[in-house]
Amino acid sequence: MKRWLALALLALSLAGQARGEELVLALSTREVAITSTYTGAEVTVFGHIERDARTIARTGDYDIVAQVQGPTGEVVLHRKGRFGFIWLTESRRRYSKVPLYFSILSAKPLASIIDEDGRQRLKLGLEHFLPAPTPELEERDEFGFRNALLRLRREEGALTENEKGVTMIRPNLFTARIVLPAKAPTGLYLVNISILSEGVPLRTAQAGFVVRKVGFDAFVANAARNEAVTYGLFTVLMAVLLGWIANVVFRKD
Amino acid sequence: MQLYLPIAELPLNLFLLLGMGGAIGFISGLFGVGGGFLLTPLLIFVGVPAPVAVATSATHIAASSVTGALTYWRRNALDLKLGTVLTIGGLLGTLAGVFFFNQMRRLGHLDLVITLAYVSLLMSVGCLMFVESIGAMLRQKSGKAAPVRKAGDHVWYEKLPLTMRFPRSKMSTSVIPLAGLGLVIGFIGTVLGIGGGFLVVPALIYFFRVPTSIVVGTSLFQILVTMIVATFLHAMFSQAVDVLLALTLVVGGVIGAQFGTRTGQALKGEQFRLLLAMLILIVGIRFALDLVAAPADRFSINATELER
Repeated sequence: MKRWLALALLALSLAGQARGEELVLALSTREVAITSTYTGAEVTVFGHIERDARTIARTGDYDIVAQVQGPTGEVVLHRKGRFGFIWLTESRRRYSKVPLYFSILSAKPLASIIDEDGRQRLKLGLEHFLPAPTPELEERDEFGFRNALLRLRREEGALTENEKGVTMIRPNLFTARIVLPAKAPTGLYLVNISILSEGVPLRTAQAGFVVRKVGFDAFVANAARNEAVTYGLFTVLMAVLLGWIANVVFRKD
Repeated sequence: MQLYLPIAELPLNLFLLLGMGGAIGFISGLFGVGGGFLLTPLLIFVGVPAPVAVATSATHIAASSVTGALTYWRRNALDLKLGTVLTIGGLLGTLAGVFFFNQMRRLGHLDLVITLAYVSLLMSVGCLMFVESIGAMLRQKSGKAAPVRKAGDHVWYEKLPLTMRFPRSKMSTSVIPLAGLGLVIGFIGTVLGIGGGFLVVPALIYFFRVPTSIVVGTSLFQILVTMIVATFLHAMFSQAVDVLLALTLVVGGVIGAQFGTRTGQALKGEQFRLLLAMLILIVGIRFALDLVAAPADRFSINATELER
């Protein structure tokens, strides 16, 4: 019995000696407020890689990859085709549960941080913003809808890859700058940060923030959805009143 | 200065919005039309989602037609009886329009319907007006008077049952074609986010020989009521009316309309109709090009909807 205990203690202390790094994250804000003057926003993630005497020695520097995923939604993609001499939408595809914002931040190109296999395994990269294609879906994707979706979302700024988004302040201290576009959807944003060294993933940590309408804009959006009758009456009244005021102010006869 | 629009869910420049409202107001003051057929495409062009553009245009048209209708009311250039008959048909059309709008939106055909309807409507009305105004100008040059129909001369649709006299408009006709006209205009107006003034005015002049002096005020009255109801129904069922967007457009619009009205008084009838016809044709051609030209990108993201 005593021997077993001693062995267990030994194993434990050995395990302790080969400890991995700790990753501590802090966000510049927990809530991005959309007000009347909102035109986009920036959220900064501060990260500290903690190591002590017992942490495994590394020969190379740390690499950071941050993936930010916004709220999910439905995206409808249209593809035009020729009918006689006019162009009309000939097919459409509906993608549900697609993140309406997705970005990857790092300090250098992803390819130089981790190889193709590792990226696939860890699901790092813009192409992973969509759920993996099932073989059957892939077969039906004869027009390349999937690639078009990636390309268009990228053009809209809803899908970004920034190789300078992470700044290493010290070898174990970094910041990641998340840029939200003006059309950023409201909801919960998850930040997934991985530390790697020489292509080997060491640790992952998560943080999150919320984008929401506040003040007047929240009030209007809420009223339009939940108090549709009052909202409609108010809009009509406003229109009539403004029209009447204009008539009185500019009247000549 | 950027202003975030709570329903359209994007920021737009405040001065751009005021300027757009002002330009549309100028044109609507100049021609006595609501300007919706220009405003809706403009809004879509600057990035406002199509449903919001259509619904909010209705609000803008309601406001600008209040201003116009009041002016004509005071000048006694408004046939309330005729306007009411048109409006009754218009309300039915509006109701059907909102239903159709949301059905098409659900099926994902809304954009196609809007484009096709714009092209066919603007091109045909534009061409008709163009030919007619050129003809009128030529006739005037050669000194011949326009053919005039005699008072008792009635076309078949005017002889349908339910005849009513409209003393202000100096005519008597069956109310069925009038209400039918209102219904069609109300339907088209609600689906396309236009008042339909550019349809009502020529229709009343050519089909019912309503005096030109009465027509604009009466059409404004009908548009006013229809658009008020359209705004309300869009707010109820489409939830796509952006009150902030409407406010900025209306403020720009009422100012622009004053300058437009003043400029309009200096124009002659035929010149005025020719200019309006050209404007309508340009917008129609612009939409037609969209259909005919090979798209730079065959793919487009049609809608992104947040899951709530």
